[in-house]
Amino acid sequence: MGANQRLRQRTVWLLIIILVVGFGAVITRLAFLQLVQGEELQQKAVDQQLSDTTVRAKRGTIYDRNGKVLAQSASVWQVVMSPASFKEDVQREYVASELAEILGLEYEDVLEKTKQDTYYSVVKRKIESAERDKVLELMNKVEDKYELSSVIALLDDYKRYYPYNSLASSVIGFTGSEDQGLSGVEYQYNEYLTGTPGRLITATNANGSIMPFDYSQNVEAIDGNSVVLTIDETIQSIIEKHMQQGIKDYDVYNRGVAIAMDVNNGEILGMATIGGYNLNDPFTISKEDQKKINAIDREYLLEKGYMTEEDNLTGKEVDELIGTAKSEAESMALSQMWRNKAISDTYYPGSVFKMVTLSMALEENEVNKKTKFGCSGYYQLYDKKIGCHNTAGHGTQNYTQALCNSCNPAFIQIGDLIGVDRFWQYYQAFGFSEKTGIDLPGESDDLFFTEDGSMGPVDLAVASFGQNFSITPIQMITAASAIANGGDVVQPHVVKQILGTDGSVVKNISTDTKRQVISKAVSDEMCRVLEVNAIEGTGKNGYVAGYRIAGKTGTSEKLTDSNGDFVQDYIASYCGFAPADNPEVAVLVFFDTPLSGNYYGSAVAAPVFASIMGEILPYLELEAQYTEKEAANIDTTAGTYTGLSVSEATKIVNSDGFDVTIKGEGTTVVAQVPAAGSKIPQGGTVVLYTDEDSVTQKVTVPNLVGFSLYDVNYLASYYGINVSLTGTVNSSDSTSISQDIAEGTSVSPGTVVTVAFSTSGVND
Amino acid sequence: MSVDTFRRESDRRRYEHERHTSSVASSRSHHEENRGVKRKKQFSLLSIGKGLDIPFCMLIVLLLAIGITMMFSASYPVAFYEIGDSYYYLKRQLLFAIVGLAIMLAVSYVDYHHFHRFSVLILGVSYFALILVLLIPSETGVKRWIGIGDYGIQASEITKFAIVLFLAHWGSRYYDKMDTLKYGVMPGATIFATTALLLLLEPHYSCIVIVGILTVLMLFISGIRIKWLAIAAVLLAIVILLLWVTGLLSYAMDRMDGWGKALEYIDETQWQQTWQTRNSLYAIGSGGLFGLGLGQSRQKYLYLPEPQNDFVFAIVCEELGLIGAIAILLIFALLVWRGIVISLRSKDRFGKLLGIGLTSQIGIQVILNILVITDWLPNTGISLPFFSYGGSSLLMLLFQMGLVLSISRSSNIEKA
Repeated sequence: MGANQRLRQRTVWLLIIILVVGFGAVITRLAFLQLVQGEELQQKAVDQQLSDTTVRAKRGTIYDRNGKVLAQSASVWQVVMSPASFKEDVQREYVASELAEILGLEYEDVLEKTKQDTYYSVVKRKIESAERDKVLELMNKVEDKYELSSVIALLDDYKRYYPYNSLASSVIGFTGSEDQGLSGVEYQYNEYLTGTPGRLITATNANGSIMPFDYSQNVEAIDGNSVVLTIDETIQSIIEKHMQQGIKDYDVYNRGVAIAMDVNNGEILGMATIGGYNLNDPFTISKEDQKKINAIDREYLLEKGYMTEEDNLTGKEVDELIGTAKSEAESMALSQMWRNKAISDTYYPGSVFKMVTLSMALEENEVNKKTKFGCSGYYQLYDKKIGCHNTAGHGTQNYTQALCNSCNPAFIQIGDLIGVDRFWQYYQAFGFSEKTGIDLPGESDDLFFTEDGSMGPVDLAVASFGQNFSITPIQMITAASAIANGGDVVQPHVVKQILGTDGSVVKNISTDTKRQVISKAVSDEMCRVLEVNAIEGTGKNGYVAGYRIAGKTGTSEKLTDSNGDFVQDYIASYCGFAPADNPEVAVLVFFDTPLSGNYYGSAVAAPVFASIMGEILPYLELEAQYTEKEAANIDTTAGTYTGLSVSEATKIVNSDGFDVTIKGEGTTVVAQVPAAGSKIPQGGTVVLYTDEDSVTQKVTVPNLVGFSLYDVNYLASYYGINVSLTGTVNSSDSTSISQDIAEGTSVSPGTVVTVAFSTSGVND
Repeated sequence: MSVDTFRRESDRRRYEHERHTSSVASSRSHHEENRGVKRKKQFSLLSIGKGLDIPFCMLIVLLLAIGITMMFSASYPVAFYEIGDSYYYLKRQLLFAIVGLAIMLAVSYVDYHHFHRFSVLILGVSYFALILVLLIPSETGVKRWIGIGDYGIQASEITKFAIVLFLAHWGSRYYDKMDTLKYGVMPGATIFATTALLLLLEPHYSCIVIVGILTVLMLFISGIRIKWLAIAAVLLAIVILLLWVTGLLSYAMDRMDGWGKALEYIDETQWQQTWQTRNSLYAIGSGGLFGLGLGQSRQKYLYLPEPQNDFVFAIVCEELGLIGAIAILLIFALLVWRGIVISLRSKDRFGKLLGIGLTSQIGIQVILNILVITDWLPNTGISLPFFSYGGSSLLMLLFQMGLVLSISRSSNIEKA
């Protein structure tokens, strides 16, 4: 082979190696990557290039039935950082120190974040506009100083505000950090309130800045719908005010519940679990609970069975156990605090249930006006003696008297007439055997003797007066509403409407009637009986002057506490409605374990019921019609008497129906007590001052609690003050139970002290 | 000595040289010489010859135009974000391209035979440069550059050329003895071993690979026995094994970590190390058959680090697709083909060997570069001729192309 030929041959081989093998391999590889793996690789590339930012939707507003805002979302911002964009430590330190100062964070923590190797790190969430302005300023400074444009960013966010703090807390509920509803309406209607988050899809470079492509896709966030509650803020406030007072007055250990419901359509006008919690701060437990938790010590551990003396634990182990006990107690306290007792607690309805038992008997024509029920203080059922609260016995009664007396033996007889089967049928028909289906989370089931309603004679006997089976307060008021409204079991609900972002109605929550359980005639008769009870029966502490109230008291035993341990506690309740001739609103008041000594529904719950009704009914523009006796106690408004001459003023005060006391030596009235516009009882005294010196004269408020009406009036005039009377004023056995200005307070003569009256309760 | 005398003198020397090395060549030389009488003498300082090879020249200009366009497309986001001037790399590359083309044309007029004499000198310069870089302190610990002000040249650029040149010189001079160990293997092996040792100290492994391939290639076409190549392969395996055992390969191994596994997440370190390769694969894959369109790459937006350098072809694949990539590879193939045809038709063996060596080097770099960006070879820094950004390497490349064009002037091929 010639030398040149060899060169040529080897060059051919070389060409083959380079162009065929080499380039062939390269093209094969590229074809594989671009055609076979192309789609997969492209997807991965797109995944990293597209920045998909979720744009939060604004959560809808919660309104009360009159359009008052109960919960609202306001714009706040989220500060995020792109730590990987920093170039030098000086920049990190500068930004960390500035951000720490603006946002009130620890410098070290922020500095730590600036050192992360990431393009996205949340510095602080939910900052408000003042902080936001400062962050914006800092962003400009950083850009000027270091030419870093995308190190800090602000993202839109929303924060939930509850203008009324704790009002209706158990109904409204609150939201979590992700704006999701966690309880109450916020949870139940989360779907409507949340809206649809938007998405901002942009192609970004590796630093997260937007690439200059027509590549972005903006899906607008759709703000959440608003929810209009059936709750009326005014009624809710009235309820909470009086319930809080009741809790205080009767030293109620385990909270109280009150529900106001429109009997005709099931709209909940107010629903309170007292004490509630501040919706703006739902994770802070009450001071008392906190105090109890802080007080957890060794004794508590022994008592609650965390340890026994025999364990011989070291101090450190005991400390650890205390820590465990504290955190357990804390989460327990939180769940108790959030609990909507009106729908989640079950209780023995007690004597309140007698209105249901009597309705059954009337509907089944088992009793009539001539049916007599005897009571000798107890009822002998086989070998078992079931006592009446009146151990002397009520004697012979018709059903109206039996209800007014809240006589257990009489109701055992009524129950016997109904029988087990019908009792169970009506129990179901009144809606006790199923959840009411109220639009709130956490509703409990009832707890009857057996699943199928069968029960023995003793069970039937005690069930007739509401003992030994458990229902929820919302079930009770729903049944009471049916008794009031002509027999319809309505669907209780707290939401009236869903509104779109533009205010248009998205959905009306229809008012469903589930079934008619009793006839109109029986309903009317029940209204009459219950009205009699409220006027002169055991329910008379629930009476409101000028209004036709119908109601029933209840005192039920509570044999187990929340831990299932045996206790002998009581629940005092009152359920009633008004006006009795054409019922519109029902109210149920329920105090769990009053410790003030008197735990009877008639003594504890009824006065609060009356206070609530006494304010709600005028608010609902139901006109009061006073009896003659009542009219005497009606407060009248004081006029303006200052600036007049003494003689002129005296004439006018007298013509307004008040007595006059003149203090001072002057000829012109310079001051008056009570002030113009305040309410004074008929026949009260107006003190007119004629010179400045006399104005400083004071009188001391005496103790006005524990007296009869006559005595209170006497004391008032003796001490030179006016009294405004509330509660069961017209009953001969009424005694004063509270006064709004404490004994010993120094006040101007003529000052009006409100005194509440009540009859001593009965164990009904 | 006048220009004419010099010309005659070199003419004579060449004639004698060729005659005693190859009878075929000498007979052709006679023939050429006879024809040459009618034209200008060929052995002059400035050789215009039969004119430069227009197709080869066109292919170079075409590749350079495409290369600069694509380099600009790939680099402008990086230039914008990191330097603040989208045209930063374009402006510099254009400047070097213009200067480079001027050098290329100038060199094409220079009779390449002068490099016969300079080959040993240039080899010396190469060694000097390789030692010099080791003495210059470097921030990164990798010593490759000899800097002059803002500009620098990689010592290896000189080395690659010096080795091709010297082996062409040696192979043409001792062509008949190339099948012996002493003449055929020893010089090449010695040069490779010493160069490789110096490159190992830089370290610059990819250059060792290229130098190794070039050495073998030059020796192969110079006619050494295949047996020696087989022995060299065995030796190479042993050396690598030794380096492996002694841990000297650690730097290279670091760079090879995750090689071939750029798409798999093994651990954070590997994921970070394979970032560039992975994003290169994303870019290539995104291109599909037809590409996203010129200028439409997304991966160049800071995802693919330094897209103007070694990985420029990944952006080419993303923007122009497989079709575009194959078209460009075809142009490269044509360039290699044409360069080798020119070289084979060269009247003397030095021209043949030098031309084949220089054109093959382009083909080899193209293949290695694309295998790197497609994760078939470890990411070790092999640039793509005419495409990758880099002033000195572009000047060097065009200078070498000038030499091939110089060869084409005296080559016995049809001029377009």
